[in-house]
Amino acid sequence: MKSSSNKSNSMEEKYITQAKLQELCNELMENNFDVFIPRQYGYQKLNKGEDFTIDNSLKPTKSSFKDLVFPKAEPILYYKKNKSEVEIIDPKPNGRTKIILGAKPCDAKSISIMSKVFNWDYKDEFFNVRANNTLIVGILCNFVDEFCFCTSVGLSPKSTEGSDLFLIPVDGGYGVKIVSERGNEFYQKYSNYFTAGDEKQIKDSEAKVKEPEVTFEPEQVRRWIGENFENNYWNTVGTLCLGCAQCAFVCPVCHCFDIVDEDYCYTEGRRMKNWDACQFEIFTLHASGHNPRNDQNKRYRQRISHKFKYYPDKFNEILCTGCGRCSRGCPVSIDIKKIVSDINSFAQS
Amino acid sequence: MNNLRQIAAELLNTGKVNAIVGYVPVDGTSRTKPFIATKPEEVEKFVINQNILNNLSVYLTKDEVKKNFKKIGIIAKGCDIKSIIALIQENQIQRDNIVIIGIKCSGVYADFEETRIADKCVNCEVMEPHLFDYLVEMENGSVLAGEDQKIKIIRQIETMNAEERWDFFENEFSRCIKCYACRQVCPMCYCERCIVDKAIPRWIESSAHKRGNFAWNLVRAFHLSGRCVGCGECERVCPMDIPLSLLNRKMIMVTQEEFNYKSGMDLNTPTLIGSYDLKDNEEFIE
Repeated sequence: MKSSSNKSNSMEEKYITQAKLQELCNELMENNFDVFIPRQYGYQKLNKGEDFTIDNSLKPTKSSFKDLVFPKAEPILYYKKNKSEVEIIDPKPNGRTKIILGAKPCDAKSISIMSKVFNWDYKDEFFNVRANNTLIVGILCNFVDEFCFCTSVGLSPKSTEGSDLFLIPVDGGYGVKIVSERGNEFYQKYSNYFTAGDEKQIKDSEAKVKEPEVTFEPEQVRRWIGENFENNYWNTVGTLCLGCAQCAFVCPVCHCFDIVDEDYCYTEGRRMKNWDACQFEIFTLHASGHNPRNDQNKRYRQRISHKFKYYPDKFNEILCTGCGRCSRGCPVSIDIKKIVSDINSFAQS
Repeated sequence: MNNLRQIAAELLNTGKVNAIVGYVPVDGTSRTKPFIATKPEEVEKFVINQNILNNLSVYLTKDEVKKNFKKIGIIAKGCDIKSIIALIQENQIQRDNIVIIGIKCSGVYADFEETRIADKCVNCEVMEPHLFDYLVEMENGSVLAGEDQKIKIIRQIETMNAEERWDFFENEFSRCIKCYACRQVCPMCYCERCIVDKAIPRWIESSAHKRGNFAWNLVRAFHLSGRCVGCGECERVCPMDIPLSLLNRKMIMVTQEEFNYKSGMDLNTPTLIGSYDLKDNEEFIE
């Protein structure tokens, strides 16, 4: 899925009015596509084009659109038992085309980041079928609060990384940048809804974004984490963490999962792939009873290390988009930006 | 405020406690967050204002805290002290191992956005704490005006028939993502292995689908019946704004009406589920 090539320089920007975009949504739904737009709790399916509105100055949705490509609970096989014979039935992953309309840059990048691990030592068909049939229309972001830090992880409120098309709110509608090949194919198919874009209007809108201040350098953080596994700092960071999975579940890129069987009855059932989180106490509990991460400090160290060292080491991507959802929602106000900024200052001294 | 810091510093200095759990401000915001002070100079950070939303008694049940600190001081509002009493009655903490710094509270906000008073504060009977070792005043405390929104909704639901109630809760639980923040923040959810984490056999489905969500939320409400003190933390921390306190508060009302019992009020009253008396009401099983 080529979505991070920045073609916006070589292709002219386009324009679409709010009304035309609503009409386009209606046509997409008639063509049997599902359109998802950001609402307070998450991305919801649009029922009719007229319902499409978006206010890019609102804070990010409570949870990301992750569950559209990586569902909270997903059957990965069904089984039927007949005496000693077992029949396995494979489900067909949902290949319906989905259009995510209005993803902030901190959300838009999530699929391309997760795609690396889901295509590493095993090509996860469940993820890939969904991801390959999802078109991401990003939107410029006019929100910033004390929890945002997209600029520290290589993104920005106007970054088109991860988007196939990118909307920039202007008078009466949106400037549109065509970012990826898939975005271009989409544009070609529906070009009658678009007109030529006004470069000045687009640049003016882009200039008005408020960028969060950069508070750390990911390379420094990565290096420090690699050299400080036993550092006493880790004994101070996770003590107050309650070990819920709020942070992992609202995160656009956290992707750990649990495989469990659910029986309908003695002879039939299904195997589920459910969201899991390294903050749960039993996440690393072995069948022997040993638990290598047997306290919250060790578990919290894992969270930070995975996001800012292990994943970048393996896949050259930071497992974080700086959206701040984890910190905004944390019951005990643990702030990941503060922790990583502290690590940055240790690294520099 | 100086009073609190004096008390706290002295407790640490004299070794009467090994640590004190309290609230500190989150820089640059009006939020507060929990903090465990282990050195006398750290008590300077403590605050008591109307943003001290957390129920810190949950930390008294955490292994990491119990392991590292034999005696703990805790800064607690009346509602938090109810949890402490319930925990003592269930033998989760020893009265002698904790020092309660009670707060004369005027009410706290429902959320960090300071939009309104917390529902639990309207009609609170423990603004003057009922159990404590020391007592301090809330700084700049003014009783916040407001209405108990929850009780209105409960009365509304009581007028619904079974199908309508089912639909109501099905709609609310559809947002549940099984993050278990409700469980982790609850002082009364201290089971070493929660029923939903047991896989052999799998009693409660852990999947975040309709059945799994219902099962989890109902089981938790059942396991809290007769024990929940109504601190409202579960609802505050839910990332999906599910009105969990509706279930718990209704159970508290039922417990009061049917058994004349309220959890967390008095160390000497036998607990509802943990005791029996030959004179107990048996009419409902005749």
